[in-house]
Amino acid sequence: MADFIKNPVVELPERNPAPSFPASELVFTDAEKAQIAEYVERYPTADGAIMRALWLAQEKFGYLPPDVIKLAAEEVGMPYAKAYGVATFYTQYYKKKMGAHVLDVCTCFSCQICGGYDMLHYLENKLGIHKGETTEDGQFSIQEVECLGACGSAPMLQVTNGSYVHNLTTDKVDALIDALREGKSWPFESVTLPQDEDDLGGNRRTDVTATETYQTPPASETIA
Amino acid sequence: MEAKSGKAGDWRSYERVLLPKVKDYHQLEVYEANGGYKALREILTNDKWDPTAVTNEVKKSGLKGRGGAGFPTGLKWSFMPPVVEGVPRYLCCNGDESEPGTFKDRQLLEYNPHAVFEGMLIASYAMSLAGSYLYIRGEYADWITHMEGELKKAYDKGYVGKNIMGSGFSSELVIHKGAGAYICGEESSLMNSLEGKRAYPRVKPPFPAQKGIWGYPTTINNVETLAAVPYIINRGGAWFAGTGAEKHPGPVLYGISGHVNRPGVYEYPTGMLMTDLIYEVAGGIRGGKKLKAVVPGGSSTPVLRADMIEGVTMDADSLREAGSMMGTSGMLVMDEDTDMVSFLRRITHFYHHESCGQCTPCREGTGWLENIVTRIDEGEGHLRDLDLLVDLCSEMEGRTVCALADAAAWPVRYTIDRFRSEFEAKCRASLVSSGIDLAEVSA
Ligand SMILES: Cc1cc2nc3c(=O)[nH]c(=O)nc-3n(C[C@H](O)[C@H](O)[C@H](O)COP(=O)(O)O)c2cc1C
Ligand code: SF4
Repeated sequence: MADFIKNPVVELPERNPAPSFPASELVFTDAEKAQIAEYVERYPTADGAIMRALWLAQEKFGYLPPDVIKLAAEEVGMPYAKAYGVATFYTQYYKKKMGAHVLDVCTCFSCQICGGYDMLHYLENKLGIHKGETTEDGQFSIQEVECLGACGSAPMLQVTNGSYVHNLTTDKVDALIDALREGKSWPFESVTLPQDEDDLGGNRRTDVTATETYQTPPASETIA
Repeated sequence: MEAKSGKAGDWRSYERVLLPKVKDYHQLEVYEANGGYKALREILTNDKWDPTAVTNEVKKSGLKGRGGAGFPTGLKWSFMPPVVEGVPRYLCCNGDESEPGTFKDRQLLEYNPHAVFEGMLIASYAMSLAGSYLYIRGEYADWITHMEGELKKAYDKGYVGKNIMGSGFSSELVIHKGAGAYICGEESSLMNSLEGKRAYPRVKPPFPAQKGIWGYPTTINNVETLAAVPYIINRGGAWFAGTGAEKHPGPVLYGISGHVNRPGVYEYPTGMLMTDLIYEVAGGIRGGKKLKAVVPGGSSTPVLRADMIEGVTMDADSLREAGSMMGTSGMLVMDEDTDMVSFLRRITHFYHHESCGQCTPCREGTGWLENIVTRIDEGEGHLRDLDLLVDLCSEMEGRTVCALADAAAWPVRYTIDRFRSEFEAKCRASLVSSGIDLAEVSA
């Protein structure tokens, strides 16, 4: 057999993946099944619903090992290999077990020139891990990510595919880590348009608790 | 004063339209109270508006796509083939916004979601579509949740779904959540992603209007493009055409980031003087420093040196003349302390990471661009690397399935071209050029 078949350079999906969860846990509840059925309704073919189904599975199981992908594929009604292809294409689907809180620090372009790397390194020092690693207590993982679309409030990070944390400073990072350690979630931050500051005296939304403004990025190497 | 204001006229007294001066405009009730869904009602109930008339009004407005390519929207709509009984047709609204430096769509989705919905519904009527998909990048999870809440309200009110406002016209609207891939912003990749496939761009032709999602005729438009449509119907195409630059008109969202005193998303007409945007609107360079360079519309648009922006206005023609592009109008401003080599290094890393890997020139080329620029940045570059990089760009441009390879090559080509001395200095100072044996140094 050709060498590359024995030792494929690309990880191939396991036909019968080793179990990552006990069989009794590897099931969707009736409510989850109904939710996936509702996703399937939204598309002309069932396949369209796979991304939503994978999101749901990741929220439930924390990450997407092969057996979880298989479960989602079967629930949607598409081949496992196809679902595996989808799950491995996108960066937000976790292929391995992550910390309870995943800190995605943006260092792209605008964040780069506004101190994104300072924030990344500050976090790495603070938590004692490198990007791509998880703390021993399983609480935190750090990732360096590409542009998150919040360039005006750089530097910034995202917590576990959820809250955006804008205008990072070392103080704000400390506060964030403390809050997450205490089991609190970070509130949604609505970023005020500069024109709204002038015309409306502040943020235009009255239904948010936390607001941020666009700020001049700090100039220092090691952001205060 | 006129001369100083570019083509945008007296922008200081400009009244915002896409993000008007109204609190809680993102909520359905407030949107309705301020003329929301009026345009949709008008076209559905007034016989004057058949689908062609709507498309013609959009053509008359001169609206050009805000997703990067700047294609005339009305013209794109008219590419849809004639309706065939039993063959569905679709619209995809592109909210994948992942081009570095671009963050205006996120603010629009947060502060004016209903204009996006209404624009999508008007487009659905103009092109006789059974349904539309709003593709939003997975990172915008919080905004997706907000929008789904607002969409539900619009469904409950009968603005979306079956028999809209009793007119007999029906159109479904589905929000699709991405999962982190820049390439999904490319229109054919977006379609594959929607279909539940790996998001590889498709070979064109066939174009989406002939063979789009699930093989059916499809149109793809950016979020901001579609959000402008209700206002065009309400105020008339002539109003839009008369705002901003003549050949690239309308209100536009400028996302200004980087070393300025007042970064943020601003709504102004197109055709603003770049210098006005940087020094007046965004308050100038932080810390009283000097401007070094500007990227006018997202990472793939060629960088301009400070001395190149005098008199340049924010519209396709003026920026082309200046040697760049309008792109997404996400503008990155850099002060004199910025290191252009490491700046370029980060861009090449981005494109290498985001290449989908289908085409060899792109998959391998983006990797080599990153490797070589990294080598220069780390002080191990050769002077000949600079020509090698430019050669490599020529081998990538125009030779691939989608435009990502071009988007990756342009920043390299133009950053080297416009800041060559800085690259040369790094190469000259490098260990290699100074004759030091690298093996010995690392030993
Ligand atoms: C690599 C690549 C990435 C793109 N990303 C986006 C994007 O994030 N958002 C977007 O609206 N258009 C993006 N586009 C442009 C789309 O392909 C398409 O032209 C656009 O959505 C059409 O809408 P418009 O005519 O309203 O501008 C991208 C294009 C390429 C080649
Ligand atoms: S140019 Fe690059 S991103 Fe586009 S299809 Fe080819 S490999 Fe994929």
